[in-house]
Amino acid sequence: MSRLSHIFRELGRSLYRFPGTALGALLSLALLFLLFDLFWIAAATTEQLYTRLISQLRMEAFVAEHVIDTEIPPLQDAIAHTEGIIAIEYISREKAREVLHEMLGTDLLIGYDSANPLPRSFIIEFESDALNSEDMASVCEGLSGFPEIAEVTYSQQWLKNAEATRVIIKRFGLALGVFILLTAIISSVNNIRLMTRARTEGFQQMRLLGAGRLFLAFPFLIEGMLISGLSAAAGWLAINYGSHQISLTQIEIVYPVIEEIVIFCAAAAALGAISGYLGIRKLLR
Amino acid sequence: MADEIVADIQNVYLGAARNEGIFRNLNLTLKAGHTAIVTGGPGSGKTSLTALLTGVGFADEGLVEVFGESLRPRRIWAINRVRRMIGGVGGIFGLVPSMTVAENIAFPLVITGLSKRRRQAKLLKMLTEFSLLKKAGDYPRTLTRVEHTLVQFARASIGDQPLLIIDEPSAGLDQATTARIFEFLIKASLSGRALLLLCSDAPAHDLPNSDIYHISNGTLE
Repeated sequence: MSRLSHIFRELGRSLYRFPGTALGALLSLALLFLLFDLFWIAAATTEQLYTRLISQLRMEAFVAEHVIDTEIPPLQDAIAHTEGIIAIEYISREKAREVLHEMLGTDLLIGYDSANPLPRSFIIEFESDALNSEDMASVCEGLSGFPEIAEVTYSQQWLKNAEATRVIIKRFGLALGVFILLTAIISSVNNIRLMTRARTEGFQQMRLLGAGRLFLAFPFLIEGMLISGLSAAAGWLAINYGSHQISLTQIEIVYPVIEEIVIFCAAAAALGAISGYLGIRKLLR
Repeated sequence: MADEIVADIQNVYLGAARNEGIFRNLNLTLKAGHTAIVTGGPGSGKTSLTALLTGVGFADEGLVEVFGESLRPRRIWAINRVRRMIGGVGGIFGLVPSMTVAENIAFPLVITGLSKRRRQAKLLKMLTEFSLLKKAGDYPRTLTRVEHTLVQFARASIGDQPLLIIDEPSAGLDQATTARIFEFLIKASLSGRALLLLCSDAPAHDLPNSDIYHISNGTLE
């Protein structure tokens, strides 16, 4: 029985003598991690939805009536060089008429060909980094300063509301993450404590014979690691099974990639090791 | 090895009050190959003496040195080193309930990291010497009082620990086993190991190079 085999024997003894505690710990942690996984997926899906919605956001700058058509290209060029703008499209009166026709299904300007009252405008598309209320307000202010621009419009309030919702989701996710982390640690620590309590006498004897703290603690660190790591993996397996049973047509669900899941399980295992140490710490004093 | 100081206790005070403590100016020097027999009634401090020598308890005042290491709180590494060189039987020493007889006996060698082959050889020798071969796979809860003591003796000897602390060596043992135990102790003493025997009364068997002390009122006489 080498030191290593002793460590694994002790681990086996612990699991063999307290299978209910070990299974209980595994299931409760798996449920906690499953909850976390579900929120992770929900947050990623919401983020993708948000990005998609935001990417469709455009700003429209209306050209003043006094601007003659020959002044349009240099004006378009000047606007295109504004920071954060990725593309700009000029909408002439004729194009505006076509758009209106498409929207309404009928041409309201039949007979008014020479006196098209629709305004000319620029449809402005932004870089993804600039798609936020602060940058867009700044661009809006800049464009309003042009004498050739009569008015600038975009969905300002909608953008603010979307951003506020995103912040709330992020904060809730963070709070939930911390809550689950704490619950997982406390649950693991208590399980390890339960398992070690019945073995206090044995620990004391082993210490009296000169066994080091790490030597005694190691089986419990591994146990914590195993239970926590397996629970995290079980949570993802449940998600994987569920994802094959459910198919949504309206929303594309965003699942983490395999590397992220591996990192998550490894982090959960590390968390378990810390819990294992905390669980046995009192006994090693 | 001979005359090498194994344990040295100098001017030790232990307990809440200097005049009413467990030990008051306790002095004891134990050399290799020598035996100190400490007698005393219940509550006289025999177990506290074991606790001092194993780093379980610490002196309030004075010096406790075992194998040249000063035993003080927080010196975990030194205490563990010292504990690995002590073989203990009875008193605060017991068996690990979750380990088999063989595992209990071999445990001191596991801690020191001895190779499996040498460990197995030593284990077999101990199991044979203490007639425990048939009990090797049993757990302590199934053992008789005598077997329990024999397992402890086997564990205290497997690593040739230079210091043996035996609390009530013949407690609960029949005459034949007691004689066998003392035979073992004589051999251990002659091989250069230091022995500390803690008993209620002086033992009926003689041990080589032994001094008898009586512990009372917190001092050794």
